[in-house]
Amino acid sequence: MEDKIGIFLCECGPNIAEKVDFDKVKEAIKNLKSVKFIGQHKLLCSDDGKKYIVNAIKEHGLTRLVIAACSPKQHELTFMKVCEEAGLNPYLFQMANIREHCAWIIEDKKEATEKAIQYIKSAYRRVRYHEPLEKKEIEANPDVLVIGGGITGLEVSLALAQSNRKVYIVEKSSELGGKLKEFNKIFTSMRDAKSFVEDKIKLVEQEKQIEVLKESEVEEVLGYFGNFIVKVKTQSKESELKVGAIVVATGYELFDGDSLAHYGYGIDDVYTALEFERMVKTGKILTKKGEPPKSVAIIHCVGRKECGYCSGVCCMYSIKFARYIKEKMKDAEVIEFHRGLTLPDKNYEKFYKDTKALGVNYIYVKDLLIEGNTKPIIKYKTEEGQFEKQVDMVVLAQAMVPPKGIDKLAKTLRIAQDKSGFFIEEHPKLAPISTSKEGVFIAGCAQGPKNIKESIVQAGAVAGRILSSLVPGKKLEPEVRVSQISESLCIGCQTCIKVCNYGAIYFDEAKRVSRVNEVLCRGCGNCVASCPSSAIQLKHFTDREIHEEIVEATR
Amino acid sequence: MGKLLEFKRPVEEGLKELLKTLLEGGKLKAVFTLTKKDDAVFYTLIKDAKKLEETTPLLPLMPVNAGKLLSRLTLKESLEEPIAVVIRPCELHAFVELIKREQGSLENFLFISMTCGGVLPIDNIAKNELDTKLNKYFESIKNVKVPDEVRPACKMCQNFLPYNADMVVDFWDKDINKTCRIFVNDTGEKYLNGLGFELKNTNQGLDYEEEKFKNLLALKKENEKKILESYKIEEWGMDGLVKIFGKCVGCHSCSRVCPICYCNLCEFDSDQYEYAPSTYSTELEKRGGVRVPPNTILFHLGRLTHVSISCVGCGMCEDVCPVDIPVSIIFSGISKEVQGLFNYTPGKDIKEDLPLSTFKEEELNEFEE
Amino acid sequence: MNKLISDIRELLKKALDNKVIDALLLPVKVPAGDSYSWVILKDDKLLEKASPIPPVISVQGARAISSLTRRGKLDFKIATFMRPCEARATIELAKLAQADLDDVVLITFDCPGAIELKKYTEKPEEVEKEFSELMGNWESDVIRTICKMCDKFTCVDDGFATDLHIGLIGLNGKMAFIPRTEKGKKFLSGLGLKSEENLNDWEKKSRELIEKKRNKRKELQNKLKPQVVGLDALSKTFAKCINCRICRSVCPICYCRQCYFDSEKLKFTPDDYLIRAEKSGGIKFLPDTLLFHLGRMTHMALSCVSCGTCEDACPMDIKVAQIFSIVGDNVQKLFEYVPGRKLDEPLPLTVYKEEEFKELEV
Repeated sequence: MEDKIGIFLCECGPNIAEKVDFDKVKEAIKNLKSVKFIGQHKLLCSDDGKKYIVNAIKEHGLTRLVIAACSPKQHELTFMKVCEEAGLNPYLFQMANIREHCAWIIEDKKEATEKAIQYIKSAYRRVRYHEPLEKKEIEANPDVLVIGGGITGLEVSLALAQSNRKVYIVEKSSELGGKLKEFNKIFTSMRDAKSFVEDKIKLVEQEKQIEVLKESEVEEVLGYFGNFIVKVKTQSKESELKVGAIVVATGYELFDGDSLAHYGYGIDDVYTALEFERMVKTGKILTKKGEPPKSVAIIHCVGRKECGYCSGVCCMYSIKFARYIKEKMKDAEVIEFHRGLTLPDKNYEKFYKDTKALGVNYIYVKDLLIEGNTKPIIKYKTEEGQFEKQVDMVVLAQAMVPPKGIDKLAKTLRIAQDKSGFFIEEHPKLAPISTSKEGVFIAGCAQGPKNIKESIVQAGAVAGRILSSLVPGKKLEPEVRVSQISESLCIGCQTCIKVCNYGAIYFDEAKRVSRVNEVLCRGCGNCVASCPSSAIQLKHFTDREIHEEIVEATR
Repeated sequence: MGKLLEFKRPVEEGLKELLKTLLEGGKLKAVFTLTKKDDAVFYTLIKDAKKLEETTPLLPLMPVNAGKLLSRLTLKESLEEPIAVVIRPCELHAFVELIKREQGSLENFLFISMTCGGVLPIDNIAKNELDTKLNKYFESIKNVKVPDEVRPACKMCQNFLPYNADMVVDFWDKDINKTCRIFVNDTGEKYLNGLGFELKNTNQGLDYEEEKFKNLLALKKENEKKILESYKIEEWGMDGLVKIFGKCVGCHSCSRVCPICYCNLCEFDSDQYEYAPSTYSTELEKRGGVRVPPNTILFHLGRLTHVSISCVGCGMCEDVCPVDIPVSIIFSGISKEVQGLFNYTPGKDIKEDLPLSTFKEEELNEFEE
Repeated sequence: MNKLISDIRELLKKALDNKVIDALLLPVKVPAGDSYSWVILKDDKLLEKASPIPPVISVQGARAISSLTRRGKLDFKIATFMRPCEARATIELAKLAQADLDDVVLITFDCPGAIELKKYTEKPEEVEKEFSELMGNWESDVIRTICKMCDKFTCVDDGFATDLHIGLIGLNGKMAFIPRTEKGKKFLSGLGLKSEENLNDWEKKSRELIEKKRNKRKELQNKLKPQVVGLDALSKTFAKCINCRICRSVCPICYCRQCYFDSEKLKFTPDDYLIRAEKSGGIKFLPDTLLFHLGRMTHMALSCVSCGTCEDACPMDIKVAQIFSIVGDNVQKLFEYVPGRKLDEPLPLTVYKEEEFKELEV
């Protein structure tokens, strides 16, 4: 069937008309093969302009369009809708930007006109190779899987359940509540941690919409946003869950590296943060010999150098520790050895000052090492010089790190981790709770060290996002401009699979070729760039289409 | 052919003069012809008449079959303005065969060919003895003898008079340093109109009845007989094929340089002929040994089946073979017989359909017998 | 050399007889006696005609293994005897899912080099004789130039991944069995052989030779550089290329079904070519010879093992292997990557290292 191409020139009021000589343009394009209509209009994006296009398409039976006007960023969608209105597939159209790229930046009319002609010819040449693409719709499952039953996981689940969504919580251990249930108190309110968490747990257990799977782990994740199939292993039994979205709320562990020995771990009465919290919960703070310590040192930044980041929470919980000690033993000497205090919240400075007022010492150190046989001796360096101090007890404020074995989950979910092992958000500022895999969200310490308040805020954000994007009954429209693999050209080297961030390509063992899951594909083109034989092409951005445009533009 | 253009100039100079005049006179958009530069020989597409001076249109070397190139030139679109091409008969015939397969367009070409004496194998291009060999070559041309230095395929080629050329340069039996003779048909004449060239009527035929060409044809037939007899292809059978193609490394270059092999992805490069592990197991059990990669002879027989009806005997295949298998002798030898079966001469008649797509009811009777 | 070859044949026969492996993949002399081809064999008679160390590389061994195992694992065990460059290319192909080495025992040997294929085709008997006299001469003049400059002809210091390596350097005709993996050890013990304990002589002489060869490589590459560095020089060197693509089809690393440079995307209209001809007065037709070679370098240089099969095959005698090796060496150095060194070492193409971006930012 013959192609009938229509080229529309927009004057854009005076914007383009004054700088580009349309008569010359029309002269240059009138003999192009298959061009059956050339139109000019004052303002194509206006109602009248749009009607003009629709009428021209219908009257001349146009099969492809080139619209020379403003930037596609401005009106590509507008004109795509116009095509649809006129019964033309919206992908059989190409815009040539003769406003931002020609009229608005070139003073000389002759030059601007020449460039505009080149742009229009390039767009014309490209559009001849466009393929009609059909929008797809898929049913979406509104249920949600939450991995991790700590405070973040509990918060997300409650928010979702209260909006009537079915939620599954998969928890690795035998209890809900995460680390928080082992704490004594929460800063800055110094409220009881256990009751805080237990309240949440009770709400979750009462909630009919929430199903909890304890001692369970996620084994396999198949499918895509709106249609995930998750295999879960509970002790040795396997079960299958069908959900539309997944929230990763796997929390953290405390730094446990070899350098703990540098801080005296292993010497009597040197405790990790969690060990200390547990001790405080028993009601008494006692040394190994069973006596209350007369002097306690709290060491900040344990593991900070090795991890390469500040966890942002340890200074606050160290101050909290100081309070614990002062509450139980008013006269005990409490020294906090720190490398600069991190107190970013509006309430933190006061918390610190009040604690200091209880008689806690704060020493800024440049270097610190703990040795000793029976009692810990702190050897430290400040700006004033080198010092030594023997104390009865040392508490180490460790950095927060990702839980051991989290790599396995990252691989199962096919989401990325940063070099510390935390899951990477899609964008640190603009998309801090979603991942590169659509439908998989991260919240709480899974995303990076943070305090309880921030975790709860993220939990709310994730719940909100899921509630708005995964609506029962609402269909999802996946990206249409996706990759496609030519079976005859693919040689099965799987390079594309290795570079796909979205897990959208899988290997067909029988045919020994790779295949694209069009719903997961986001059209980023990484695979296209990496395939040496160009067996994989991006729809609407095939090598052919791009080449034609470039070859014409560089003639 | 209609008319003759003759002038007392060395033949290549005369031809270049003609091309220059056509180009500068606005009759042509460009000229396509051979050029030698240092130790490289390649076809060139020339727009600037001055660059014509560097060309070597009649150099008897064929780095690539020009039919393939003209097909690439006009694959996407036909020419909008005329281009003159100087190519050998087999290259022109190959182009016509490709046209029949929709792999190009004849529009706006001015075909200039020659009464061909053959070409030297390409490994001569970079050698020091090239000049000596060329001298000997042109000596033979003058004496209407088949030059010794040419490709085996050229030695036995019996289609050295081009079909469908608009101008034909003839230099057998004349001293190429003194005379330039170009036969011109009606189309050619139209191009030369108004450019000041004097065209004479001529009785001399450009066909195999003309005495000198008749003699040459006889010499070629003799060569063919001798060469084919030394190979005895008809006695080969499977064993003979195995012997000849034993050293084939499966590079498929013969296919890549062949003008008739135009497929985007040769089926012998596709996954269709790959052996599954189970196939290797079975064959290994049956025969005790399997050559890897497999399908060496299948490739050649398959390719022969596909190209033989249009094989123009250019000899490119044998030139590029890294292990010196006499591919062109086998292919042109067998192709000639296949073409004989269908009474088909590749490149001769543009309107003649390929036997592959023609159905003649009476041929079925041959099977019934 | 002939004695060595028959000793190895004996070994391999034993491996078959003792059912250590089910079949062998070896170069076998073709019926006409004018070349070698890889054959997967069980038959003793075929084994008699096999040469584990042929004088030429007719088909790169990696291509043979790939053809054998591309579509999946074999359901029987095999052993193959390959030159180090062939084994390295095999490892590279395995990384690209073009070969499966699970049931393959890869055996390599200290390689004295190979002779030009064209020379062999012309005079097979003469070359056979020349090659048989190479035993013990690790710096021969008769081998290909690309072999003269090869520094990876032995696996001392973990040069390349192999299951079993046969050491020959500095051992006066003796064979030293050097297993490098469990598979290799099992193979040896299945033959009742012991792995060589005292490798001092071999290591010392090998390292000396490697040093010499490395210097030779530098020397020859420096000599070649003026012919290929800079667009003018490179254009001149590749001007005689006839675009036959044989370098690509024989290269083991070029595994694509259809080369990008032969695809539809690079087929243009007459006008496109004419406009280019206008700009410079005249163009080579078809143009873009260099595009193909530079493009091929971009695609395969990281895995180039300098086997020289491309140069052997080039009908225009362009020093393809030597040129591509210059690029290959430099590019591999940039990524600290040695093709064929380790099976589980991923190709740099698919490895993302954030700090590398900083090099671009500066």
